[in-house]
Amino acid sequence: MLLFAIIALLAGILYGTSGLSISFLDLLSAQSNSILWVLMVCVGISVGLHHGLLAKIRAYRLRIFVLPLGIIAGSCLGGLVCQLLMQNGLAESLAITGGLGWYSLTGVLVTELSGAHFGSIAFFSNLLRELFSFFSIPLIAKYLNYPTCIAPAGATSEDTTLPMMIRYTNEETVVLSVLNGVLCSLAVPFLLKFYYWLG
Amino acid sequence: MDVILLFFLGALIGKYLFPLHFQPVLEKLLMFFTLCLIFAMGVQLGQRENFFAELSSVGMESLLFFLLPTLGSIFVVYPFSRIVFPNLKKKEEK
Repeated sequence: MLLFAIIALLAGILYGTSGLSISFLDLLSAQSNSILWVLMVCVGISVGLHHGLLAKIRAYRLRIFVLPLGIIAGSCLGGLVCQLLMQNGLAESLAITGGLGWYSLTGVLVTELSGAHFGSIAFFSNLLRELFSFFSIPLIAKYLNYPTCIAPAGATSEDTTLPMMIRYTNEETVVLSVLNGVLCSLAVPFLLKFYYWLG
Repeated sequence: MDVILLFFLGALIGKYLFPLHFQPVLEKLLMFFTLCLIFAMGVQLGQRENFFAELSSVGMESLLFFLLPTLGSIFVVYPFSRIVFPNLKKKEEK
């Protein structure tokens, strides 16, 4: 699956840059939202087939916040190290990493507040985070543990990276992943505002 | 928000309507649509104006700004997850 995923990504980039127009592939790439919707229903069905899952998740109570808080703290630490290494502004460094993988929103917000250069870095670094999550999930599931697979995914753990999650972890982790994605996505705009206030 | 709603709609279908013997078909569909989604992401990236030029100018900085926070998240989450979710282990331990 991992190899197929890398091939699909490279083929997509090649097709996009080539300027070719094949109607089926054009339709496929234009309908990425619809594909995501179908995927979400399929992942939901897969989770729904496992009974007693909700009761298990309810039993976690406040422990559910450990994942998003850990992800935010880890990203913030990474941002501080980046700031020390690159000598950029504190606000910009933290804001770029505060996107937690949500590249579209972070790219736009950082461009508005700090200009195109930092906006581009915000876009690409968060995009790389999402792509890395796709490919790291099988390895983290094998060598670390299932909940840690959610860490690189950050805010994307509720949508785009969910299909890899269901393939390489289990249904309980998938539900944790959805909850984490919702909490991280809610936190991103506040984090960015906070980091700019701080810097 | 729409994806969350669709996820829960799917969960309801899975719980009450979906025949269990179609699960292998569902797994194949999941794999197919995941690859389609990754391909579509690649196309959107490739179609971005000045994609390679932009990537070469901010590539190294972007790499650093992606790598350190991502690794930071993994290093913080891993030890805590071992304590908080002891039943969710890695693949071989199951």
